[in-house]
Amino acid sequence: MKIKFNINSKIEELEIRPDATLLNVLRDNGFTEVKCGCSEGECGACIVLIDDKTVNSCQVLAMSAASKKIKTVKGIGTLHNPHLLQKIFASTGADQCGFCSPGMVLSAYSLLKENPNPTEKEIAEALDGNLCRCTGYVKIIEAVRRTAQIMNENLISRE
Amino acid sequence: MFNENLKWYFPASIPKAVQLIEQPGIILHGGGTRILKTQSRSIIGLVDICNLKLDYIKQKNNLYHVGAAVTFGKVVKFSKENNCLSMLGTALSEAASTPVRNRITIGGSIKDFPLWSNLIAPLIALDAKVEINNGSSKIIPIEEYITSGMIKTKHLVKEIIIPEDEKIIWRIKRFTLLKFEYPIFNIAIKFKFNGSLVHDAAFVITGVKNRFKRFNKAENIFMEKNLSEKLIKQAMKFIEPKFVSDYKYSSAYKEKVAKIIFEDLLLDIAGVKQ
Ligand SMILES: Cc1cc2nc3c(=O)[nH]c(=O)nc-3n(C[C@H](O)[C@H](O)[C@H](O)COP(=O)(O)OP(=O)(O)OC[C@H]3O[C@@H](n4cnc5c(N)ncnc54)[C@H](O)[C@@H]3O)c2cc1C
Ligand code: FES
Ligand code: FES
Repeated sequence: MKIKFNINSKIEELEIRPDATLLNVLRDNGFTEVKCGCSEGECGACIVLIDDKTVNSCQVLAMSAASKKIKTVKGIGTLHNPHLLQKIFASTGADQCGFCSPGMVLSAYSLLKENPNPTEKEIAEALDGNLCRCTGYVKIIEAVRRTAQIMNENLISRE
Repeated sequence: MFNENLKWYFPASIPKAVQLIEQPGIILHGGGTRILKTQSRSIIGLVDICNLKLDYIKQKNNLYHVGAAVTFGKVVKFSKENNCLSMLGTALSEAASTPVRNRITIGGSIKDFPLWSNLIAPLIALDAKVEINNGSSKIIPIEEYITSGMIKTKHLVKEIIIPEDEKIIWRIKRFTLLKFEYPIFNIAIKFKFNGSLVHDAAFVITGVKNRFKRFNKAENIFMEKNLSEKLIKQAMKFIEPKFVSDYKYSSAYKEKVAKIIFEDLLLDIAGVKQ
């Protein structure tokens, strides 16, 4: 069946099965920036925003997201026009293989919108649903802290 | 695998939703996290609750009303921002992870009541009630909802009703060896004092045989008395949680750990824990 989705502020009409997860629908339709790690709701590689909240898209039946605003990591910044978080993740060494990065960046983005000045503990808590096998998390937390600092010093919008 | 003819419904009223789930194979969809795990072929229809306007938390006459579509994440945020519902807010903040908490709903988590539930032990300890609708509306204490078997019948959970918990002293424990694992059991302890005397108490554990146990005999030991180490020792004789062994932990191990935690939490409240 054909269903309309609002993905990254664009209406997309996609052919889906009624039992498809949002993760599969997104990846099958070219949104491969959304990664599939565990399919169990445990690794956070598949995180997207639904109505501005982080969710594991592998744990969401796509039909239930049809009337909602969905945002993938490309919805906040692209290769040629990256979001400050994406730039700082790269320059801090917060991504190595990069598999966890889309989910990490979206969790951090959601945190900074709600809490512009998070403590290290608050950053770690906000990233509690994101696993990274490469970095050991230190650089990731540093990148989020640096982004918050730069945003606050330069009054940059968190959008 | 779901049934290939799975149909979705998005009713805008509770009577319409209830009417739909009266049909065989049609069930409600809250966050969908449990439905996705089970993927039963017998499910032929999913009734999404998103248009039923059940995404509210309201306070009225010392009671909090939490709608079935509210997520764990929303309760946690509300509890922090409004400095209320502290026991429930803390318990739910420890469940799963931030993105999972943004998805799982109160309604789905009550009806489903998994062994690892972070929700049910505090709700029982807080004497919460649940409003359900199965053609007509009923408000039932959560404990009775589970023990009477009502939980297994077809109905819509509309909301939970929780008394204000400002004047209680509470402790909770989500026991797991690794934080991101499903908890092995959850304990909730509540005391209400009248001056220095215990006026009300609740000791609850979930994850046990028969899903939950409330230790009424142990609670009664404290009534209208000062909380003391001696009474705690007496009460511990009546705190005997029974578990089922699983592929990771024996029942004996779980029973021993649960008893130790109960005693530690009680001593902590009494202020005698080193
Ligand atoms: C990775 C992961 C980790 C988790 N860890 C924990 C944890 O540590 N602690 C914890 O407490 N939970 C945890 N959970 C959540 C738990 O396992 C269940 O998945 C969740 O509670 C179900 O809620 P839901 O809103 O997704 O329900 P759904 O999957 O939508 O529904 C579950 C059942 O309830 C019914 N239902 C839904 N809404 C209603 C309603 N309003 N009225 C009546 N019936 C309804 C459905 O028909 C279905 O039978 C975890 C989940 C995941 C995926
Ligand atoms: S793929 Fe969804 S949480 Fe791992
Ligand atoms: S950078 Fe490789 S998993 Fe995080």
